[in-house]
Amino acid sequence: MKLLKSFEYPRELIPDFNKAKKLEWITIFYLLSTTALMYLVMGNSQAMKTAWFEDLLSLTPSISFLIASRIYHKAPNKNFPYGYHRVISIAYLCSSVALFAVGAFLVIDSVSTLLKAEHATIGIIVLFGKPIWLGYIMIAVLLYSSIPAVFLGRMKLPLAKKLHEKNLYTDAQMNKADWMTALAAIFGIVGIGMGWWWADATAALLISVDIIHDGFTNLKQAIFDLMDETPKTVNEQETDPLIGKVKALLAGKAWIRNCNIRLREEGHVYLGEGFVVPVSEENLTGHIEKAVKEIEELDWRIQEFVIMPVKELPSQSSA
Amino acid sequence: MKYVFLFLLPAVWVLQACNGNFPKDPEKTLAKIQNDTLRVGYSENPPWIVKTAQEPAGLEADLVKAFAATIPTTIKWENDTEQNLLEKLEKDELHLVVAGITHDNPWKKQVSFTRPYAKQGKKKHVMAVIHGENAFIKKLEEFLYQQEAEIKKQIKP
Repeated sequence: MKLLKSFEYPRELIPDFNKAKKLEWITIFYLLSTTALMYLVMGNSQAMKTAWFEDLLSLTPSISFLIASRIYHKAPNKNFPYGYHRVISIAYLCSSVALFAVGAFLVIDSVSTLLKAEHATIGIIVLFGKPIWLGYIMIAVLLYSSIPAVFLGRMKLPLAKKLHEKNLYTDAQMNKADWMTALAAIFGIVGIGMGWWWADATAALLISVDIIHDGFTNLKQAIFDLMDETPKTVNEQETDPLIGKVKALLAGKAWIRNCNIRLREEGHVYLGEGFVVPVSEENLTGHIEKAVKEIEELDWRIQEFVIMPVKELPSQSSA
Repeated sequence: MKYVFLFLLPAVWVLQACNGNFPKDPEKTLAKIQNDTLRVGYSENPPWIVKTAQEPAGLEADLVKAFAATIPTTIKWENDTEQNLLEKLEKDELHLVVAGITHDNPWKKQVSFTRPYAKQGKKKHVMAVIHGENAFIKKLEEFLYQQEAEIKKQIKP
């Protein structure tokens, strides 16, 4: 059986990948600390409960990233001849479902609070023998849960692009969702303190629109990736320009009269086929092997490219 | 830039907090009580609250009377079953219900409880309050906290 080559990131990207892993570990411990603190002070404020739930869900991208990162580079074997790259796409699906769920949860929750006109009660807490309004403590905890998230998210974005890591990209958006919900909850608690019971739910509703949008875009892309859509870039979800380069390389060969290619995404890497109509059959195997090598050297993301010589191009093959 | 509003409100709040009247009541309960009466529901549960020919007696009755004196206001007592009183409280028809309620009472989802002001065995005792009137609730909880040492002396462990 022909197995796929074993995959590691190119040497120059390994430090970036290790940095991403480190960031994800930091994210997990940080999120665990914020969920623990929030649980202690949440009282019966709806805004705090939402922010807490959101924090719990937002662990998904980091955990799925770390699990996937232990699996994806395993060598292909008899049972998995294409290797384990798809685990990245599965992790991406999990993360985007979580992000979408956070947004949806926020909408349902705030709409129901508004409809039922629930007035949240926030009483006092005794800290070191002093009675303090619990709202102040909640705000302090929420600030702790929002400020580091801003930086974590910002640090993950460039790494996600370099590593072609859509899961990491979703996690960066999750960090954004984190700090935005935390700020919305602060808004809510200050609002409650001002006697505006509706402030909390209204802020959450506004922010949830943004989170749902991010969640939906990523969820759609994760599903499309699993359905072998033509490869898309990590950030803008546009057709990867690399496809054009492969096509141009083949089209530029003197021995090829006509050609067509297709590529699909398997986690970080691309696999694909090219159908070529050769000018003549002279030294065909040699030409094909050379072209394959050139294409696979175009970019580390092209993991395996197969060239199939044909008399006529198959009709309806993709661009 | 879309989220600038999130930073504006905390700024307003800092001004408010400096002013000293924070948090506020959405329905101005504390202010209304001063001009009117404090509506308290009670359901007999000795020794916490005991029905007498006149005003109710017991530890909780004493606490409520002392609290009313700090506002100051007069109390309008209303006697009924715990169920009926809590239903009224849920509809904001009462300000406060005392019935020897403990923190694990299943009504805690529908009405708001104060933080526990006394502990007997494993049971933590609370009062049920109108929800969301945070200035009023804060005042009551602060009052109960100040009385904690005194209450402890009166409770048999």
